[in-house]
Amino acid sequence: MQTLTYRFPARKAATRPIHVGVVASGDLEILLEPLAPGDDDGVVVRVRTSVNGFDTVWHDVLERFFTRTPLAGRWELNDFGATPGVVNLRLRQASEAAAS
Amino acid sequence: MTELLAGQSWQELLARHSFIELDALGRAGALLDPGSLRVLAGPFDRLESPWLEPQGITPQADDGTVVARGTVDGRPVVVAAIEQGFLGGGTGEVSGAKISQALLLAAADSRAGSPTAAVILFETGGVRLQEANLGLNAVAEICSAVLDLRSNAPVIGVVAGTVGSFGGMSIAAGLCTRLIVTPQARIGLNGPAVIEQEGGIDEFDSRDHTLIWAVDGGGQRHATGLADSLVPDDSNLLRTAVIDAIDAGVPEPGRHRSERLDVLASRLAVYDPADAPSPGDLPALWGGSYEPVPASTQPTVVQASDPPTTRGRTWMLELSGSAPVESIIPSVLSATTADARYLAVVPDPDNRFYRAREGQVGLTESLALAQAVRDLITADEGAEHKRAIVAVVDLPSQAYGRYEEMAGLHQAMAATTDAYHAARVAGHPVVAVVVGKALSGGFLTHGMQANQILALDDPGVEIHAMHQAAAARITLRTVDELNELAKTIIPMSYDVEDWAKLGFCDGLLTVGSTDDPTREDVETVGAAIEDAVRRARGGPRDLSNRLDSDAAVSTRAASRRVRDVLAQQWNTAS
Repeated sequence: MQTLTYRFPARKAATRPIHVGVVASGDLEILLEPLAPGDDDGVVVRVRTSVNGFDTVWHDVLERFFTRTPLAGRWELNDFGATPGVVNLRLRQASEAAAS
Repeated sequence: MTELLAGQSWQELLARHSFIELDALGRAGALLDPGSLRVLAGPFDRLESPWLEPQGITPQADDGTVVARGTVDGRPVVVAAIEQGFLGGGTGEVSGAKISQALLLAAADSRAGSPTAAVILFETGGVRLQEANLGLNAVAEICSAVLDLRSNAPVIGVVAGTVGSFGGMSIAAGLCTRLIVTPQARIGLNGPAVIEQEGGIDEFDSRDHTLIWAVDGGGQRHATGLADSLVPDDSNLLRTAVIDAIDAGVPEPGRHRSERLDVLASRLAVYDPADAPSPGDLPALWGGSYEPVPASTQPTVVQASDPPTTRGRTWMLELSGSAPVESIIPSVLSATTADARYLAVVPDPDNRFYRAREGQVGLTESLALAQAVRDLITADEGAEHKRAIVAVVDLPSQAYGRYEEMAGLHQAMAATTDAYHAARVAGHPVVAVVVGKALSGGFLTHGMQANQILALDDPGVEIHAMHQAAAARITLRTVDELNELAKTIIPMSYDVEDWAKLGFCDGLLTVGSTDDPTREDVETVGAAIEDAVRRARGGPRDLSNRLDSDAAVSTRAASRRVRDVLAQQWNTAS
């Protein structure tokens, strides 16, 4: 297992906690929480993944997503071997739930 | 394929809302009245397992079990839904505590006059082997909590699939007021891969899916009276079945499946592995309702002339002193003194159930233990001073066999679990003394419902959730890797001194010889049992001491947090 942390700039902020997904084979869960007082602005992502050595892929997938969807908050991704496509879908699901 | 329809037409099948395809939260929501669901101890309460990250396993924020309150057809209900995708639905310290504590809160409400039913969605491979001994204890606590609630409000079990219910959690399923299954469901004690590992491919071919569903499948369990309703994979129909099951209420005392020793005895009397029916013939042999098989006579049992000497037999004879030791069946010994009844499971080389010849807890052992415990409850009914029950534990495991599974070993073990719980609740001090091996479902059945658990401090004493080779196979690790992990993850350790740190050891006893005890050794253990009996008489009749002990305060901090969070959130939103 590997724990990775990334930061990205963001414009708008999540206002309520969102939870999607399951830590199942080929899937991941995402917890999104509004920034707490004292947090730096922007997106803070912590990824815990069962598959080691994909730091660059994670960075690229997340950077692409948060460039298009600059939603500030604390993002936690608990991953059990999801492909970039699945990661992207779960991120979209979380951001859409935050907007609704 | 037609059996998967379970009475539906193809058109209905295509139009249905699948229940199996939902995750745990979706399943809970599908059963509760629309808009009534309120999640307790959810992902943002951060009650993840403390044992997984150190092993390099990604945890899940709610530890893979959703607890939700709501209503079903207007009645208050708590749902515990196990997420089958997360580590095969395995019961860990946190996920298990969520289920047992939710059931205990429902029981407290029900006793206080607001009946709160429970629905448990079983999708589990059994104990989460990464948390072995804490998972095993969690299952014992769940079984106890099901029984605490069951007399006041219905506890409905649902096994929808596709993981099904295996391991000790199937004992809990066997304790439910009513059990609802789909054709895709499976219920068994030992999973096919574990039986193959322990007994070889001739005993059970774990790749043979037709065989697996013929033995464990929802259709078969329903056809033999081990499940109450068979419902197709349709959310609306499952909800209707749950409504009906809750409407049916609490049965009369003695009418629960796990209390029907008469049915179990009559079924086992006509069931012999030497002349076993095929799975397809079993419903005709036993009938589809859980009622006694007519005109059954107990098979004659031959006592081996020279039973093997084992620790269990040795300590049984020594501890019971001058009281005569009788064989209820050759593999179950009983001795009754003025103060206590001693019980032990021992090897019987001539056991007609050939997978239970080495002292394993099998079908007939479960029945004999349950009868011996129930008999004492009856004998002491109304007595102010109830005699103690001392479970002398030296058992390699439960019986891993296909004929055991076909007959529903989980249901037989539920009968024993129920009996021990009933004795404890009635005020009999129940003390388990582990003198040898105490593995897995065998220990769950014979020992883990005790008020007090004692163990000899000896390298030959081993308490665990599964044999090492099988545990390695199931968790895709090598035995060496398991040994390495066990050094830092104490619930995984096979060392009894580590087990004693988990919070449910009430005494680790040092003796000179475990195999050939001296008089002094016997006196030491006898005195420890007397102390334990005294503590049990003055202590709680539930298992709460396992969370309040000094060791539990540090080792089971996560379980204690679950208890606190659920209690806080039970009546008010967080």
